[in-house]
Amino acid sequence: MRYAARWPSRLALGVPAALALLLLVVPLVALLLRADWARIPTDLATPTVLPALRLSLTTTSVTAVLCLLLGTPLAWFLARSELRATSWVRALITVPLVLPPVVGGVALLMTWGRNGLIGQHLTPFGIQIPFTTVAVVLAETFVAMPYYVLAVEGAMRGLDPRLESVARTLGASDLRYLRTVGIPLVLPGIASGLALAWARALGEFGATITFAGNFPGRTQTLPLLVYVELEHDPQVAISISIMLLAVSVLVLGVLRGRWLR
Amino acid sequence: MSGAGAAAPGGGLDARVRLSRGAIEVDVALTAAPGQVIGVLGPNGGGKTSTLLALAGVLALADGHVHVGARVWDDGRRRLQPEQRAVGLMLADSLLFPHLRALDNVAFGPRSRGVDRHRARDRARTELDRVGLAAHAAARPRELSSGQQARVALARALATDPALLLLDEPLSALDPDTRARTRSDLATRLTAYDGVTVLVTHDPLDALTLADHLVFVEDGQVTQAGTPAEVLTEPRSTYVATVVGLNLYAGQGDSHGHVVTADGLIVTTSPTEGPVWATIPPSAVSLHRHEPEGSPRNTWRLRIASVTMQGQSARVGLLGDVPLTAEVTLESVTSLGLQVGQDVWAAVKATEVRTYPR
Repeated sequence: MRYAARWPSRLALGVPAALALLLLVVPLVALLLRADWARIPTDLATPTVLPALRLSLTTTSVTAVLCLLLGTPLAWFLARSELRATSWVRALITVPLVLPPVVGGVALLMTWGRNGLIGQHLTPFGIQIPFTTVAVVLAETFVAMPYYVLAVEGAMRGLDPRLESVARTLGASDLRYLRTVGIPLVLPGIASGLALAWARALGEFGATITFAGNFPGRTQTLPLLVYVELEHDPQVAISISIMLLAVSVLVLGVLRGRWLR
Repeated sequence: MSGAGAAAPGGGLDARVRLSRGAIEVDVALTAAPGQVIGVLGPNGGGKTSTLLALAGVLALADGHVHVGARVWDDGRRRLQPEQRAVGLMLADSLLFPHLRALDNVAFGPRSRGVDRHRARDRARTELDRVGLAAHAAARPRELSSGQQARVALARALATDPALLLLDEPLSALDPDTRARTRSDLATRLTAYDGVTVLVTHDPLDALTLADHLVFVEDGQVTQAGTPAEVLTEPRSTYVATVVGLNLYAGQGDSHGHVVTADGLIVTTSPTEGPVWATIPPSAVSLHRHEPEGSPRNTWRLRIASVTMQGQSARVGLLGDVPLTAEVTLESVTSLGLQVGQDVWAAVKATEVRTYPR
């Protein structure tokens, strides 16, 4: 009777669990199996791939710097604020996390486009944002910044607020406290926030293609090139994908022990 | 506030801290001359720490003022930020910056106040030397013992030459051995400090050994203030009486030496008329199986509520018309066979009862 009762429940749970695992793992295996390892170096060095690689690296690096410079102070305000409005602000900056990236792209167009909320004031000066490299950075920052802010805010909340009280009685301004005590103590949080945000920016597709377009050398990042090459030369698309997969695994390695156990 | 000593010209503290903290309305006045150490005592949650943080500028005053020397730190409307005040703060956990060496922890204050790196480190070395830690300048906080951490925290608080030094339970996080040693280190260092010190503690020993003026704060209000000698002999609240180890009664006195309390009558040879406090030292209480006879004395039949040991003596808590704590020898505990729940006779000579106006 024990076994009779046990096997059906094992199956009822085991089969869906195995299916879930297969759904997640098989695509990665399939990608690895289809890769032509010998070709990867030459594939990545072609005149189409190199500009996309360079563009992806520069735009994601600029995005990371923007996160660091703008996101850190925002995280600090969120972490120390006791106002009720803070939780609303936090909810608001979480929206880009769950928003379909295409919608993000449309929203960015409505902001920076020729007739957009801000764009209309730039047009008279001859400044055009959409479909430029700047637009790529804006799209990536839009989707990546929330990851950074939430990670760093979490780390800053872990600090004893009395450390700040003591630092201030010693004569330290907010800025000096943050520079000499606050930030050094949350460096691990900043590192993981940067890794998360950078990985998200590197994979950005929907908002970029909507808002920045797909111009080789100017707005065509690696994910966009993968999409194009899949029609044109699938093997190149696979080689780029393998490289992006490797980078993702590397980022996981950076986050290991902090976000994974 | 009585007996607090007016702020001396050219320095000192004159403050009245009023603020709301949760359910508690804090209203505490403090004055002190330079070099004085004020001990602020009281039960936990009574507003001691809030008062301290308001003096530091971390908490805002709802009303009142903070004057230090000739400077106005807070007048209830305009408030200097903590970093604009010449203040030093030391809390129970030393709260050293964990990523900085002891030397840089101490140099942090001077550096923040614009002193160049070289001179700030020189100053930090001097301060570490004054707390006996010159040899540990390069150590990180986690490499130091709790007592050493507390001394570094003190050095750090003093390295900015504060006019007001605020200590919040500076010894409470230490184990008993370390505490005794750190207490004497603290006492030595404070003697050489010429600013005002406010020491918040719930440990009467800290207060009696370090402070030269005591302020008791209960439920946000000052219940008693005075020199340790005054407080020790004439407590004016149940809490203060417990701290100094006296039985305290509020009553109505007459010229014949009678003090009528809520439930009982106490006889004294030092009468005070009108509303009075009466004290009975626990050591003056004797316990008996049968009603004692003889000279003018107080005798009450009371029930034993608790018996606790303290070294070679025992403290016996008694309940009845005149609730009383008696301190008797362990010998009498056994010879009288004292047990909780038992009724005994307690006797106190009238000469042992002190009275003073309420």
